[in-house]
Amino acid sequence: MTQAAALAIGVQRAESPGLWTLAWRRFCRDRVGLVSFLIVVFFFGLMAASGVHLIAADWSKEVGVNYAPPTFIGPEVADGGPSAPGSHGGERTGEANPFDPLAGVLAEIRAASGAASVAEAQAPTLVFGGDRWGRDVLQKTIKGTETSMFVGLVAAVLAAFLATVFGALAGYYGGWIDDFFNWFYSVFTSIPYLLLILAIAAVLNQKGTLTVILILGLTGWTGIFRLVRAEYLKHKVREYIQAADAIGASHPRRMFVHILPNVSHVILVQLSLHVVLFIKSEVVLSFLGFGVGVDTVSWGSMLNEAQSELILGYWWQLAAATLAMALLVTGFSLFTDALRDALDPKLK
Amino acid sequence: MTAVNSSGTLIAIRDLKVDFRLDRTTVTQAVKGISFDIPVNSTVALVGESGSGKSVTALAILGLLPKENSTVPPGSRILYGGRNLLALAPGELQKLRGADISMIFQEPMSSLNPVFTIGFQITEVLTKHLGMTGRQARVRALELLREVGIPEPEAKIDAYPFQLSGGQQQRAMIAIAIACEPKLLIADEPTTALDVTIQKQILELIAALQKRLRMSVLFITHDLALVGEIADYVVVMREGEIKEQGRVEQIFEAPQDAYTRALLLCRPQLERRPRRLPVIDDFLKPGPLAGSTLEERSRGLRGDEEIILEVRHLGKSFYSREGLFGKREFKAVKNVSFKLARGKTLGIVGESGSGKTTVALTLLRLRGESSGEALFDGKDLLSIPQTEMMPYKRRIQIVFQNPYASLNPRFTIGQLLMEPLQVHRIGSSESERRDRVYKLLEEVGLPEVSFFKYPHEFSGGQRQRIAIARCLTMKPDVLICDEAVSALDVSIQAQVLNLLQDLQDEHHMSYIFISHDLAVVKYMADQVMVMNEGEVVEVANSDDIYRNPQHPYTKKLLSSIPQGWRGARAR
Amino acid sequence: MLAYVTRRLWQTIPTLLGVVLLVFFLFTWVGGDPAYLLAGKISNPEQIENIRRQLGVDRPYHVQLWIFIQQIATGDFGESWATNEKVSAIFATRLGPSLTVLVPLLAVDTLLAIAAAMLVAYVRGSLTDRIVMIGCTVGQSISILVYIIVFQYVLAYQLGWFPVQGWGKGFAENLLRYSVLPIIVGVIVSLAPDTRLYRTFFLDEINQDYVRTARAKGMSEARVMWVHVLRNASIPIITNVMIQLPGLLAGAFLIERFFSIPGIGREVILAVERSDFPVIKAVTIYVAIATMIINLIADLLYRVVDPRVQLK
Repeated sequence: MTQAAALAIGVQRAESPGLWTLAWRRFCRDRVGLVSFLIVVFFFGLMAASGVHLIAADWSKEVGVNYAPPTFIGPEVADGGPSAPGSHGGERTGEANPFDPLAGVLAEIRAASGAASVAEAQAPTLVFGGDRWGRDVLQKTIKGTETSMFVGLVAAVLAAFLATVFGALAGYYGGWIDDFFNWFYSVFTSIPYLLLILAIAAVLNQKGTLTVILILGLTGWTGIFRLVRAEYLKHKVREYIQAADAIGASHPRRMFVHILPNVSHVILVQLSLHVVLFIKSEVVLSFLGFGVGVDTVSWGSMLNEAQSELILGYWWQLAAATLAMALLVTGFSLFTDALRDALDPKLK
Repeated sequence: MTAVNSSGTLIAIRDLKVDFRLDRTTVTQAVKGISFDIPVNSTVALVGESGSGKSVTALAILGLLPKENSTVPPGSRILYGGRNLLALAPGELQKLRGADISMIFQEPMSSLNPVFTIGFQITEVLTKHLGMTGRQARVRALELLREVGIPEPEAKIDAYPFQLSGGQQQRAMIAIAIACEPKLLIADEPTTALDVTIQKQILELIAALQKRLRMSVLFITHDLALVGEIADYVVVMREGEIKEQGRVEQIFEAPQDAYTRALLLCRPQLERRPRRLPVIDDFLKPGPLAGSTLEERSRGLRGDEEIILEVRHLGKSFYSREGLFGKREFKAVKNVSFKLARGKTLGIVGESGSGKTTVALTLLRLRGESSGEALFDGKDLLSIPQTEMMPYKRRIQIVFQNPYASLNPRFTIGQLLMEPLQVHRIGSSESERRDRVYKLLEEVGLPEVSFFKYPHEFSGGQRQRIAIARCLTMKPDVLICDEAVSALDVSIQAQVLNLLQDLQDEHHMSYIFISHDLAVVKYMADQVMVMNEGEVVEVANSDDIYRNPQHPYTKKLLSSIPQGWRGARAR
Repeated sequence: MLAYVTRRLWQTIPTLLGVVLLVFFLFTWVGGDPAYLLAGKISNPEQIENIRRQLGVDRPYHVQLWIFIQQIATGDFGESWATNEKVSAIFATRLGPSLTVLVPLLAVDTLLAIAAAMLVAYVRGSLTDRIVMIGCTVGQSISILVYIIVFQYVLAYQLGWFPVQGWGKGFAENLLRYSVLPIIVGVIVSLAPDTRLYRTFFLDEINQDYVRTARAKGMSEARVMWVHVLRNASIPIITNVMIQLPGLLAGAFLIERFFSIPGIGREVILAVERSDFPVIKAVTIYVAIATMIINLIADLLYRVVDPRVQLK
């Protein structure tokens, strides 16, 4: 091989594949991984487009009749469906969902805005149906996707960042620094994750996207921390780090220039896993009414509305939110699996 | 079950091929159509370097090849008692395994199930194959443990594997394997993971059992020297093919194949010390061996050499937490003193746990606090503050054992070799540093293009060259080689040893050469220091210590070295 | 053994102290003045002062912390702000229903997941393996909310196989009538992730050298899997089950809420909705203590399955 390499010297210079390039090549060979990657990219596009108001900007407009059925079903035969949105809807939510503390407030807001726009022409059917106020479920789903995905991503990045810094310090230095972070870790893990989130939600008593991100990010670092710390413990005694010590590389250099790239695949996979975990948590929080604000739509708040709609036989909002979430989360999970396989070929 | 061919052949392997699927597109042939016989009541040694297909052959006999990614193409046959083992139904094969044919492995620790007692793992075989009751099996298991020489069998039968030493674990594995008095015992590198003194005991045990049970042994090893002592027949494999096979005396006295000859001579021998070790290429190309491989090199100190490093009363303890506030002290190194002469090599030998590596790491201050002093140019390396350490760091460097772990996999070779220059601000500009690195690559025998490649693109031997080049960037006065060639195949080992020797001749560096391999140390070192349990047992010039060892431990160690072929022996 | 338990309990004190400080910090600083929360809309400064005095929040922090620690030690957290029920009474009455659902749920889920995981791990790489794994991934990607809503709607509301929600008096009635659907939903939700996780545990073990040894000894495939591999894989599985336990106690709140099961989980949600601080504080602290005790039990269990673990 040395002879061949010597011949190719001029040509090959900068083209030698690093570990990342090799991982990418392995990834491309995995068809399931590639498809799931495309799904994830598609959702990223959706989130970005919705974020800059390219699409679904007027999701809150009441463009259809109340509970407008999807176009592929056709207009509903009138069964005494509600025509005055505000009062009727408010009452029913009160019955069907007695635990939703926001139902009343929500209804008031809707009633006010609904009354203003009632004059506009309302379509009998919508692409994927309409909700209680006749808003387009498809647009709502896109907007909900934006919210849920954004929360999941940012919270995961925050958690991964904290975990990496804590884990690197604890694992690399050991001693009392390690003891301190381990204590911190055991305090946080003694309280079950969802209980901790709910407790914080209770004391903050303040809804909103930023709050959810902070709650999830500040409580969700423990799992990644444990893994990063273990990786640092493992790597700091490896011979290549001892060699770096022997040639005189400083502590920060060993920690971040030598070790970090070697554990970054673990962090990346965990980041990806936590996006899914946080999206799910956000959905539950918003469903319970402790999540995003009342004027924001997320998959969780959609499911909350869908719960009472289902009993009346209006299934499309439930289907839309479920489908969107299942598609993204499945895509993301399969992508994570493929990523793990590509980055760490030993594990299969 | 007991159908043994009257012609004296127990197992006949005919045209065996094994393919491994690496990924969806790549298939490699691990074994490329080999044929050989295992006669009854004799020992056949299967010898080869890594990747030769020797272990794969053994697994194929027992039908233990991984099902997911290996296939045996039709036409291959392994004949035993008139039946082709490769075509046997799974149930039939299960009845043979452990009863007629059994196997022991390289790593006894991981080969035993960690959560069951030794007794459980022996009796399991007895109840399965011989239909014994629990009580009968336990009695027999005790007998077996006694037979394989495990002390206090009554206590050890209820011990878990982790409670036994490495040697005892391998004995327990052997007890399991011989429980049903098999016709064939396959031993896959059974002593590679063990210390040399234990290795000798295990080899003797296997040889004794072979005679007493009148079984055949298929002994798989990379070490030809072992083979000379125990085998009747030898099969030499390389890259999935048989290079040569025959009776042991024929292989050792009149090897026909160039590769066999190379294997015999690449490894340093105790009685000779050529200026250069012959390498595999020397044998594969026609013509006589180069003169330098025939000339002898003389080693040793006269006593008036310049001393570059003097270590006095070095001690190193490790502490493990015990209880709430308690600590338990473990003394890894106790009161070690030695002197290292400029341009000479000090060999340190010892078994695992002797503290030889700890000495090296402590000198480099890679292991924290220690006691004693290490005078280097009149300065005590162990007590100068970290901030003043930098100029000394570059003058003492180290090459580690595992070439796969000692290079950062995310760095290119260029980055790896430039880093020390940058850290120590050697050279005035990047381009000057780069030129330096190119020159070094050439010096250690690697092409210039390596600069842009990553470690995973190189073989173990090449990586070790890179590790050596990294040390050379700083032009150290002292180079510590910590088992630097132990993980390499014999033929590669010779090349790296030659490189180290050339570099010493040219740059006049001092080496501390640490190894468990006494033959390699004898070849490389001027002076040898023997360590045992953290203490220095004996220090002397290398020729003296091998010719005339003083301490009983040194004597024991030297007598355990595999002797290789010693001419016809009374069997 | 006893010495080990004593020392482990001793070691949990710093952690417990940390939890106490964390909860205290959350509810005292982050939470703001609870008096405003309690007083609600009809408030004048006098009323608020009154409430502050009653709650003790006008006192210095260290005094409040001391009171909090006393509350934990005596188990007397006072009364719920919302219902005026004694907090200790809430615990006593809600624990039973929670356990009635959770214990069978955990048992059924663990057994099914172990069997499924071992099966797919054994045929790893095959079509069955891939289909089951992708099925698990898809199943996992659907929110637990959807499972609950749809199952409740279809199986209970439309088909009438189970009661839609509710809770009875007797244990047998609760277990056999009201808990069945919640347990089914719970098992379906946790089966997918557990199967995936346990599969990796089995895969880790299947490639070990001792498995090859067991085969070389002529052991049957069934014995290799059920005796040699399972015993080793059970070590991480026990860890996982034990980790889930405290989370389940409070974490099955969605199931409890939807099916109107008067358990701890539902109580937590009600308390969060009503800003009922004493109840949340008490639940958090006691679940944390339960977690520590469960961790200790887990360590003792390791000793049983893994002889290498030395309790020092």
